Amino acid sequence: MYKILFQHYLLKGFRSPGYYKNLIVNIFVGIMMLYFLALFLLIGFMLPKMLREIAPESNPSEIFHGIMLYGWFGILMIRYLMQPLNRLNIEHYQALPIKRSIITNYLILKPLLNPANYLMLCLTIPFAIKGITPELGAFAGFRFVGITIFIIWFNSMLAPFLKRKYHNLLIGSIALLIIGGGLAALEYFKIFSVFELSQHLFRFLVTTPFVWILAVTPCIVAFLLNKLFFSQNFYPEKFERKRKNKAVTQRFTFMERFGTIGELISLNIKLVLRHKRTKSTLYTALFVLAYGLIFYPNPVYNNQPAWLLFIAIFLSGTGMLIFGQWIINWDGAHFDYLMTRNIDTRTYIRSNYTLLMALCVASFILTSPYFFFGQKIIINHMVAFLYNAGVNSYVYLFSASFNTKRLELTRGSSMNMQGVSYKNFIVMIPLLGIPIILVAFFGIFKASNIALIILGALGFVGILCREPLLRMTERQFLRRKYALCAGFRKHE
Amino acid sequence: MQDYVQQPDSLSAMPPPPPVQGEATTSIMATNLTKIYNGVTVLNIPSLSIHSAEGFGLVGNNGAGKTTFFRLILDLIEATTGVIEIDGQKVARHDEWKSKVGSFLDEGFLIDFLTPEEYFAFTARIYKKSEGDLATFLETMSDFFNGEIIGSGKLIRDLSKGNQKKTGIAAALLGDPQILILDEPFTALDPTSQIRLKRMLNDFKTTRNMTMLISSHDLNHVTEVCDRIVVLEKGVVVRDIHTSENTLKELESYFAV
Repeated sequence: MYKILFQHYLLKGFRSPGYYKNLIVNIFVGIMMLYFLALFLLIGFMLPKMLREIAPESNPSEIFHGIMLYGWFGILMIRYLMQPLNRLNIEHYQALPIKRSIITNYLILKPLLNPANYLMLCLTIPFAIKGITPELGAFAGFRFVGITIFIIWFNSMLAPFLKRKYHNLLIGSIALLIIGGGLAALEYFKIFSVFELSQHLFRFLVTTPFVWILAVTPCIVAFLLNKLFFSQNFYPEKFERKRKNKAVTQRFTFMERFGTIGELISLNIKLVLRHKRTKSTLYTALFVLAYGLIFYPNPVYNNQPAWLLFIAIFLSGTGMLIFGQWIINWDGAHFDYLMTRNIDTRTYIRSNYTLLMALCVASFILTSPYFFFGQKIIINHMVAFLYNAGVNSYVYLFSASFNTKRLELTRGSSMNMQGVSYKNFIVMIPLLGIPIILVAFFGIFKASNIALIILGALGFVGILCREPLLRMTERQFLRRKYALCAGFRKHE
Repeated sequence: MQDYVQQPDSLSAMPPPPPVQGEATTSIMATNLTKIYNGVTVLNIPSLSIHSAEGFGLVGNNGAGKTTFFRLILDLIEATTGVIEIDGQKVARHDEWKSKVGSFLDEGFLIDFLTPEEYFAFTARIYKKSEGDLATFLETMSDFFNGEIIGSGKLIRDLSKGNQKKTGIAAALLGDPQILILDEPFTALDPTSQIRLKRMLNDFKTTRNMTMLISSHDLNHVTEVCDRIVVLEKGVVVRDIHTSENTLKELESYFAV
């Protein structure tokens, strides 16, 4: 029976209509995975040496053991936030004479078979070879790997349990953050050291034969917790669907002043706020706005004009760059409605343009505190704003008509690539590639300012030529209208 | 389009073609219309005109091309050859017809993340209706809605299929269209709602001179609402009947193969 269920799971993946069409995106994801794999392997091999350099007075294994509890907690948190819940369409199977326990076991254990969950091993196996074995012996290295596998199992079962049981992600993540922060504070004020606890615990487990097997107990506990949960909530409506709040009719009276364009924009605002995927992207976008704090104070990045401009374009256009890739596409589910109502093409394109501009201006204003990092940043942000408003906005509007895939917005997760095609990557060339290449090219002659002037001027001209450019976009949209209609009608 | 017989003055501005007494003006006109998907002709209509205030029923088995025809009228797909005109204006890639046509084909005509109230308000504002107009309109729909749609506190995506359909049909009527296009309006409705819808459609036709294009699998319903029935088979018009008491029998014998 389990075999059939897993077969169905695999078939569902391979036979989803998007799978082959999305081959290029899948290849891209695959390359990313390989990259992380290689990165982890490399870090794993280098880590003992790095740790010795950072803290020459203690052994690499001791430090690693010390941070393991923190690592476990951090990974649990990431999983809680990002791991999509495993949705076997159990309604299909509930009607069939299959034992409940088989279905629940399947739901609980399936994540353990996902190879992506074992990515951590790429870090710990090399570390076991280079960091543990020379010091504590081959058996200890073996035990160390075994224990990491148990931790992975524990996390893969605990995170979905927490997610199902406490499905309010926001409160859950705040709670986890408080716990994590609390532990770190205790550590910092030397009241209670999780670091030492972790050190002693894992040291003991790794060096003692046989007892380490007991590390499997948390996994069993997590499994039983899941079983208990499912025995109480077998019916999917109990745990998979959100509790239905009464939907509240909202009205943005402010937007009503702007006629049909205002109506269409408030429709898009509701769209963002009422779908899981767009909402989580909104949080991500707010998070991305803070990225500058990592790069701007750092002199390594600060002296590379191309890199600086890249950050500036990305930061000062965050909202537009993130949501712009979905423009028009996210209307897919009600596209027929929009196309048959009393909305002319001109108004429709203009409402999308206005929305992009609003996002662009909002991001620019939100990132203006970075101006405190100096004149160079101010100039870069100004140029980036002009380029975003005068070039990138049209690039997005124009290219939106090429992506005919319907976005499924109800399925939300951070790494959701549904509805993304190779065209989204091609758009990146004018969006980010051209400015960076230009700045890098002039940078060779120590004249990157000329590139900034060119880019700023391009943006300025783009803003001035709004009317003809928008008319061009309208014509392009009309040319592609039927392809869009047909594409949006196909569900994935 | 005004009705010629009732209001002869209103047409005096433009020289009217001399119509025969009782014959209405053409509302929708399809010429040399074909649609070919991957070498298969799914629709082939050399010439078809639908007059204003006509109740036009479209019947046919699955795959006969009913929805394709409607989508062509609504400019949602591109005709392989031929043109469709509404009131003498080409439909393809134009916007003028949109203010005259109300339509509901499928859930793509709903905005499923809105509440029904928001959806109606949005539609009303697009058609430049005041809030008073909207309230009056919803009042006339209250029987049809049966108290389950307004104030239900649900998003459209959480409504039942039947209530979604009612919501879509109401929104199609909201803009006071001269032409109404509905695809399978009776399926998924409960018997009471089916009867109410029929009554409502007949009402609109007589009071507002609305042109109606309705496709249906239910021969009973369609003959009750429409005064002209066109049968499509594999994309070709095989029957074009003015409804009389014999029509239902005729249709039943046609489909009983």
